[in-house]
Amino acid sequence: MAVAAPTPRGYLERPKPSGLADVIDVILDKGLVIDAFVRVSLIGIEILTIDARIVIASVDTYLRFASAVNRLDLGTSEAQGLPELMQDITSGAAKSKTSGVLDAAKEKIFGDDDDQDESDDDEEKQQSRPRRRSSSSSSGSSSSGSRSRSRKSSS
Amino acid sequence: MTQPSAVYVYGVLPATDAERLPAAGIEGSTVRAIVDGDLAAVVSDLAGESLNAASEVRAHWRVLDAVAKEATVLPVRFGTALRDDDDVRARLLAPNRERLVALLQHLSGRVQLGVKGRYDEASLLREIVATSKPVASLRERIRSMPADAAYYDSIKLGELVAGEVDVRRQRDAQHALGALAPHAIEAREQAAGGDDGAFDLAFLVERDRIDAFSKAVVKLGDDVGDRIALRYVGPLPPYSFAETELDTGGAAWA
Repeated sequence: MAVAAPTPRGYLERPKPSGLADVIDVILDKGLVIDAFVRVSLIGIEILTIDARIVIASVDTYLRFASAVNRLDLGTSEAQGLPELMQDITSGAAKSKTSGVLDAAKEKIFGDDDDQDESDDDEEKQQSRPRRRSSSSSSGSSSSGSRSRSRKSSS
Repeated sequence: MTQPSAVYVYGVLPATDAERLPAAGIEGSTVRAIVDGDLAAVVSDLAGESLNAASEVRAHWRVLDAVAKEATVLPVRFGTALRDDDDVRARLLAPNRERLVALLQHLSGRVQLGVKGRYDEASLLREIVATSKPVASLRERIRSMPADAAYYDSIKLGELVAGEVDVRRQRDAQHALGALAPHAIEAREQAAGGDDGAFDLAFLVERDRIDAFSKAVVKLGDDVGDRIALRYVGPLPPYSFAETELDTGGAAWA
């Protein structure tokens, strides 16, 4: 399936120490359970905020998939189609809504990131941070033409 | 009640390993061990009756990470507290002694490694349009319609695509499990998060076999190519392999 030049996989040669982002799911969901009731009474509402990461509105997801697929240019004018698709993926309304919830929770948890996390999450962050930033500044430019029927950035 | 009211529990380890513990835990409190026979609980005192989960999950993670560097530890799920030291002995350690000791023996010398896969969304969607006739034809139809007339068809299209994504998730998770599980003692599959999550796997691996496992991960990375980006983390405390509900030997403390 992959047609692009292969990415070097040296980064897989040994496991990386985890950043909190890597293990948040297992910390919250796994491990010995002593007494579920005590856990709930202690943590109260905050734990619900974090669990919002799990709640993804299906219809929003479907619409996002649909608009991404619609915009897919399957051959000739790829130069125009792909950036448009990428933009849609990164700035689509549904995505920004759901990841907004997650980001809010994440910022609360991961805010004030220390050295270890910085170095650990390098690939992920280097890829996603600039993209997220640039998408907000350029989302208006995709609105030319009649095909941009998907929702624009709603933020 | 306003006096110090709870003991926060991070994990359980063999009493012989309970000497070197990290300094600071939840809310900056001192981390200490409560020893009962051959077992010890790693705990710290909790001042109030509530806990800011969003900020303290980091402290929980750090304590367990530090302890796991020196010893085999059974992580307790985040957010667990008991009333006092006696309660930790009477409701955690004593009634579950056999199970905890057996689990510690099982996990001794072994670590958890995590392998997550995430789709490159553009190539995933291309692949779906190229291989699914229903998706391709509905897509063509929608593209010929005015935007506001296509709303329900769009939902339908998205649903079809989501179904195709799920099929691939299952297939790719099985592929990854088949490639990696032979190099591990045990494997666990967790729900892959997000629209682009392909799989989220946890493996229990002998500490001295990590290199062999890593080679299998590199090979898996070659197999999946640019279609799926892998993330490989560890060694972790065995969160996913210490999953068991314990007896509390009495009514819940409220």
